Amino acid sequence: MAETPLADVFVEMADTLVDDFDVIEFLHVLTERCVELLGVSAAGLLLTDQRDTLQVVAASSERTRLLELFQLQTDQGPCLDSFRSGQPVSVADLTLTTARWPRFTAAAAEVGFAAVHALPMRLRSEVIGALNLFDVRPGALDEDKLRIGQALAGVATIGLLQHRAIHRRDILTEQLQTALHSRVLIEQAKGVLAERLQVDVGQAFAILRAGARSRNRRLSELSQAIVDGSERLAPGPAADRPG
Amino acid sequence: MSVAGVDSAAVAVLLDATPRELVYATDRTASELEDLALTLGEGPCVDATAGGPVLVADLTVPECRARWPVFAPAAVLAGAGAVFALPLRVGGIRLGVLDLYRARAGDLGAEQLADALVLADAACAVLLDDATRYGAGRDDQWPEGSGLHHPEVHQATGMIMVQLGVTAAVALIRLRAYAYAQDRRLREVAADVVARRLRLGPAGIPGDRDE
Repeated sequence: MAETPLADVFVEMADTLVDDFDVIEFLHVLTERCVELLGVSAAGLLLTDQRDTLQVVAASSERTRLLELFQLQTDQGPCLDSFRSGQPVSVADLTLTTARWPRFTAAAAEVGFAAVHALPMRLRSEVIGALNLFDVRPGALDEDKLRIGQALAGVATIGLLQHRAIHRRDILTEQLQTALHSRVLIEQAKGVLAERLQVDVGQAFAILRAGARSRNRRLSELSQAIVDGSERLAPGPAADRPG
Repeated sequence: MSVAGVDSAAVAVLLDATPRELVYATDRTASELEDLALTLGEGPCVDATAGGPVLVADLTVPECRARWPVFAPAAVLAGAGAVFALPLRVGGIRLGVLDLYRARAGDLGAEQLADALVLADAACAVLLDDATRYGAGRDDQWPEGSGLHHPEVHQATGMIMVQLGVTAAVALIRLRAYAYAQDRRLREVAADVVARRLRLGPAGIPGDRDE
């Protein structure tokens, strides 16, 4: 398996933390690295919208069912519990949690997951979200992996709140709101591309991401251009305007 | 307003033809400050129109004067100590800005900020509903039941934009109108659109077609 060594992941993450970087792309790569390093099946990041609601901001796979599973934890699930308590929540066997989180457990089983872990994203005394890990095999994360997972959650927090003077609430708000806003924008752009290119929304994300990379643009910027019609990102005859 | 612990508030709506248009202000101070921003073309509310939230705890600090050299002193003269400008947006849909003013300088607390963000959501709902006759009296479904936390709603918005050749705002309004008319949850209708089980007609509502 082509696995990225731990040290390389931290170097890669630190490299992206220079001035003008793409926060959603950063978080997306981070969830992919979580999957590799921790040997889990899927990873996702949820952030608070500061109304005490968690929202998905990045996931290792853009499968709609998976995104829904993360989002379901607005109401119940390990992420919500981890976010509320500020503690890791680890479930080695999801068949045992039906009473605790009935809807979440059923939805996770439907997607084929057997184990789930949630690690809090902390900024000093404040919890701003959670890193969510799913595995198709039952089992606990060992001590080392939990520590690496927690370190990656910490890297995500740093990446998100790159401003040095983050003790100021207005900057925290701005950063969290911007990340969540970018995510909505990306979903809208995925829809536009899915329909225009007649692909599913998961494929649309891959096209969007490749487009952002080849143009050296941020995912959110390119998404904005696609939504407002100034960019088409479609193969075929060059056209300046949509429709 | 009292919920968010501020003294006055205004909602400015974005229109295609003009840079900003004031829709509602709770008092003279708020409307004066909106006029100022519109006239000068600068201020936290102007910045929030294109960007994210702009929360200014103290308009008298040097950074504020540097950022808004004309607006900041004028706003202080008009009686504002702090301004909190929250964009009214749903992804690529920008509806306007909710501006909250307070005479006294100082941060919004965590709870007040949460209240303010809920107010901004409510303002978005009202603006979207105003655009459709199906919205009357339905704002109780927002934000909890609105489904706007679900990725499919935004994906469906994008798909409808292309299918009907409309803007993102119109696409979302059509989607919401359809859900209301069918008495279905927004996210369920959106999931049907994303899975290509449902395609809205040109008028968005069955039996109410343009042609």
